[in-house]
Amino acid sequence: MRILLRLLSPALGLAVAGVGALIALEAGWTLARPPSAPLVVPWKQWRDQLTGFTWSDSPVLVVGGALVLLGLLLLVLAGSARRHDVPLTDPADDVTVVTSPRSLARLVGHRVRAEDGVRSASVTAGRKKVRVRATSGLSTEAELRPTLTSTVNDLVGSLPLASKPRVQVVVDSPKDRR
Amino acid sequence: MSSRSSAAVARSAGTDRTLTTLLALVALAGGVVVLLVGAGVFGSGRAGRSLVDPIAIDLLRANRSLALVLALVAGLLLVLLGLWWALRSLRPESKPDLVLDGSRGSRLTVSSGAIAEAVHADAETVPGVERARVRLVGDPDNPALRITLWLRQGSDVRDIWNGLDTQVLSRARDALGVERLPAAVRIELDAAEGSRVS
Repeated sequence: MRILLRLLSPALGLAVAGVGALIALEAGWTLARPPSAPLVVPWKQWRDQLTGFTWSDSPVLVVGGALVLLGLLLLVLAGSARRHDVPLTDPADDVTVVTSPRSLARLVGHRVRAEDGVRSASVTAGRKKVRVRATSGLSTEAELRPTLTSTVNDLVGSLPLASKPRVQVVVDSPKDRR
Repeated sequence: MSSRSSAAVARSAGTDRTLTTLLALVALAGGVVVLLVGAGVFGSGRAGRSLVDPIAIDLLRANRSLALVLALVAGLLLVLLGLWWALRSLRPESKPDLVLDGSRGSRLTVSSGAIAEAVHADAETVPGVERARVRLVGDPDNPALRITLWLRQGSDVRDIWNGLDTQVLSRARDALGVERLPAAVRIELDAAEGSRVS
């Protein structure tokens, strides 16, 4: 989402500048030469057309709804563009070390898939939580889960992470369904 | 952790996020007001009135010059804000050169590219590091290193983490003769296949 915000920001900035330029142009023109027609934006025509609408007309409500939707989308975009880095402890003053949630998940995934009895695994990781979902054809959840939990806990504990994330392991096994 | 090193982790998106949030709140507030008025929350009489309210038009006509001047000023402010925002987000991140001796009559600077290249070469010699990317960021008075390291599968993160300051950063500081050179290091774990011992 950060990259989307980076791409969208110049466009939003130019849009704000464009709207401002049109407002300033028309206001300045009308101030200087009151009787003349608008320069670029036919606002007098728009005003006359808008006179025919009331607040409860459906096109007005649709525009209101669209504005709410646009506002919510931009809020989500701005909110989700924060950094999701996983901090490591600093080896020295003036040095900050971080890793990405994706690479932490990759590391855990490699380790989990190397365990006996694991057929496949998907991992999501963040600074607070590491969630492992493994499937196994040979072992039941009760058999495999403690092993995987301790493996992942050991692995995460061996990393110099600033705070140790909680480990959650779920095992999906056909043997449990019988 | 210093604020300078943590600020160097990535280019800040703070201004973009703040301005986008502001724009979002304006759109949201406008939309909500339109929906509330249209739904008759402020009275069914209000909901049935024209969008171009005669009372508002009369008020604007009575204060015509004032309204136009206010619109002109608001428009100009929007132009300035919008252009500043667009230019700011389009501008590439600065790569400051390091001024080692800024005393009068003599000036010794090391280009950001040269420092980045030297640290890059050092970083790739650390065992377990597959690839490194280094650049100098920040403003010329407060430069900082931004280092990204891609580690081989199976490499010992703790060893590399220990070696960062002693092997790479301290060498850079010694070579440049500076006491402080804040650094932000991003480690990509298990990024490349490890070398297999046969």
